[in-house]
Amino acid sequence: MKIIWALSFAVLLVGACRRGGEENAAEGQNTVGTGRGSGRSVINQPLGPVPGPGDIAPVANPLDGDRGARQEGRTLFVRYNCYGCHGGRAGGGMGPSLRDPSWLYGSTPDRIFNSIAQGRGHGMPSWGGRLDEKQIWELTAYVSSLRTPEEPEVP
Amino acid sequence: MPSRLDPPAALLVASVLAVLGVSFLGCKASAGPPVLPSERVGAVTNLGGTLPGIHLVSPLPNGDWRLPGGDYANTRFSPLAQLKPDNVSNLRVLTAVSTGVPHGHEGQPLIVDNTMYIVTPYPNNLIAIDLTKPSGAVRFIYQPHPDPRAVGIACCDIVNRGASYADGKIIYNLLDAVTVAVDARTGVEVWRTKVGNIDIGETTTMAALVVKDKVMVGVSGGEMGVRGWLAALDVATGKEIWRGYSTGPDKDVLIGREFHAFYEKDRAPDQGTSTWPGEQWKLGGGTIWGWVSYDPELDLIYYGTGNPGVWDPDLRPGDNKWSCSIIARRPQDGHVVWAYQLVPHDHHDYDEIMENILVDMDWKGTPKRKLLLHPGRSGFMYVLDRGTGELLSAEKFVDSTNWASGYDLATGLPHEDPSKHTKLGQVVKDICPSSTGGKEFVPSAFSPLTGLLYIPAHNTCMNYEGLEANYIAGTPYLGADVKMYPGPGGFQGELVAWDPVRAKKVWGIREQKLPLYSGVLATAGNLVFYGTMDGYFRAVDARTGTLLYQFHTGSGIVGDPVTYLGPDGKQYVVIYSGVGGWMGAVASPDVSADDPYAALGVVGAMKDLKKVTGLGDTVYVFGL
Repeated sequence: MKIIWALSFAVLLVGACRRGGEENAAEGQNTVGTGRGSGRSVINQPLGPVPGPGDIAPVANPLDGDRGARQEGRTLFVRYNCYGCHGGRAGGGMGPSLRDPSWLYGSTPDRIFNSIAQGRGHGMPSWGGRLDEKQIWELTAYVSSLRTPEEPEVP
Repeated sequence: MPSRLDPPAALLVASVLAVLGVSFLGCKASAGPPVLPSERVGAVTNLGGTLPGIHLVSPLPNGDWRLPGGDYANTRFSPLAQLKPDNVSNLRVLTAVSTGVPHGHEGQPLIVDNTMYIVTPYPNNLIAIDLTKPSGAVRFIYQPHPDPRAVGIACCDIVNRGASYADGKIIYNLLDAVTVAVDARTGVEVWRTKVGNIDIGETTTMAALVVKDKVMVGVSGGEMGVRGWLAALDVATGKEIWRGYSTGPDKDVLIGREFHAFYEKDRAPDQGTSTWPGEQWKLGGGTIWGWVSYDPELDLIYYGTGNPGVWDPDLRPGDNKWSCSIIARRPQDGHVVWAYQLVPHDHHDYDEIMENILVDMDWKGTPKRKLLLHPGRSGFMYVLDRGTGELLSAEKFVDSTNWASGYDLATGLPHEDPSKHTKLGQVVKDICPSSTGGKEFVPSAFSPLTGLLYIPAHNTCMNYEGLEANYIAGTPYLGADVKMYPGPGGFQGELVAWDPVRAKKVWGIREQKLPLYSGVLATAGNLVFYGTMDGYFRAVDARTGTLLYQFHTGSGIVGDPVTYLGPDGKQYVVIYSGVGGWMGAVASPDVSADDPYAALGVVGAMKDLKKVTGLGDTVYVFGL
């Protein structure tokens, strides 16, 4: 049984690497990114110890530490109307604050990526079909920087 | 049966009964024991003690409360007078009912035949409370199950501003752009009509108003690129009879042969398209999310329209009609009789969806002139001739107002300060009032005994930067980075008692830290009731503003007080306590106080709200 799991998983990973590489974006080894409006940007995440693939290492933001990426993320945050719901500096409004310690769907970069790409309940659209993978990572970089010294535009 | 009304209300009973069709006279006998004589559901037009020169155009609610504003004229005045300055200090809470929905409790309940009807914020349940039984016994709860996706496109909390009663039905809007009619006795749904599309940002939060055999329903979504409209549905079936848009060609606006604007500037044909660049009018806002008034004598409905879309004015050169306008229509076919744009080419998000109070008053030598009082979001108190749409007076009721110095009554145009015009890519500072206005949608009250209008006012200013905006259906369509802050003078809210004829404030009660975000009720007992955002429910003397009673409720008050006669013939007062709405957004745990630009910029002015109140969901009933 374990072997079957491992095998199918390996297939998944290979596919992921190839497509991610084509887009020249994320380098996380378990990223399945197709980007550019295809609507299928998503990162595999553990579903739980049994029977899901519980041993996947979380994916880091490939743009982590990139000041320009955070700035670009801020620009996208305005351009795609994110600020209308999440607030001018992401303090919330129609949608929840991204500045507080409460994360409905997880605060790690891979989870933020998926929240943006897949959409969430109560009005968060799925942006995977409209933004490419790099843009989603840039937005993720901006969101991760909120309330840190790296935040591009401090309120 | 002896009258249970105190004088001067008892005087009215003799003069009861203006004839106003089914909605007032067509009431059926209550299923419960017949407790009060017919006068309590009858209608009153001529009230003892009314100042000379004042005529009320719509019958007043005499014991029940069947329309959002009590009457068609939106006076929010009750002829009940058992509660008065010398006994109101003995008020106490008799019961408190939880609605189970801790969000902004805007609007007001209805009282019909010894039953109280409460519409909750989304999921918009209708709770019927049997007033003949003790302690808030529930008669039924109707659950309409609106589409949950509507929650994500509602700009300013998931609020509802109330229902109307007519023809045995409670009629109101659901957040997901659906109107429902519910049998008032059984709680069974009679009809359900989809009036809008949430996928393009349309929601419905306003208080539906029944006029004769039609119910008037307007759309919300001025922050989502919605094109505003008002629709009339058949009360019996829910079928749409007509729909008048706020933008677009005259045939869509229902401007035709009967149209005659008072001002030259408003007369040209098809201004709903010609005052917009390209096809921007299709995303042009002018939504209708407040209150509709009706004059049964002139047979006209009146309402104000919201801000033009998009917020950034540089993206929509032109006057942007008919945003920020007051529109008079025939209820029968929706045709526009006159329209007046209060603010051409809005720079500041001054929705003018505020209540229009209809009253006849002696006006500068003209006896009993037919007036329309519109306390504007712009900080100006507008007085119009409601027969013609002529602007008779426009004076600042909020002193800090600085976007314009006044109005030219000959042209109907404001004298604007160009330095307060907002621009793309530039931060314009110190604009007063802020987008939330000199007052918000929360309704004023008018007393014919004092001749005063009681306005829940704000003193809030803002910095505003226009941004490029992309229309993406179902997401906010703003183009503005806004930060609000308390205005000058050390206060942010004020209950203003305003003399509309002399155009001046008579007295005011200030709130240091918070704007006034509750509706107001005036009564023949010379009392004014209102609430504060930090939770106080208050009664003050209508003549002097002297504080006579206050009680601290569990949450900030953003609802509207109403009064009624119970089955025992005694007068009661009801208020919702549940902070929320746009300015109350920061009370929610989902909004951070450290971003002054959050919630479309209100958090800058409201960051302390979390410290003084939290979310609530309680209906308080007060009595002696």
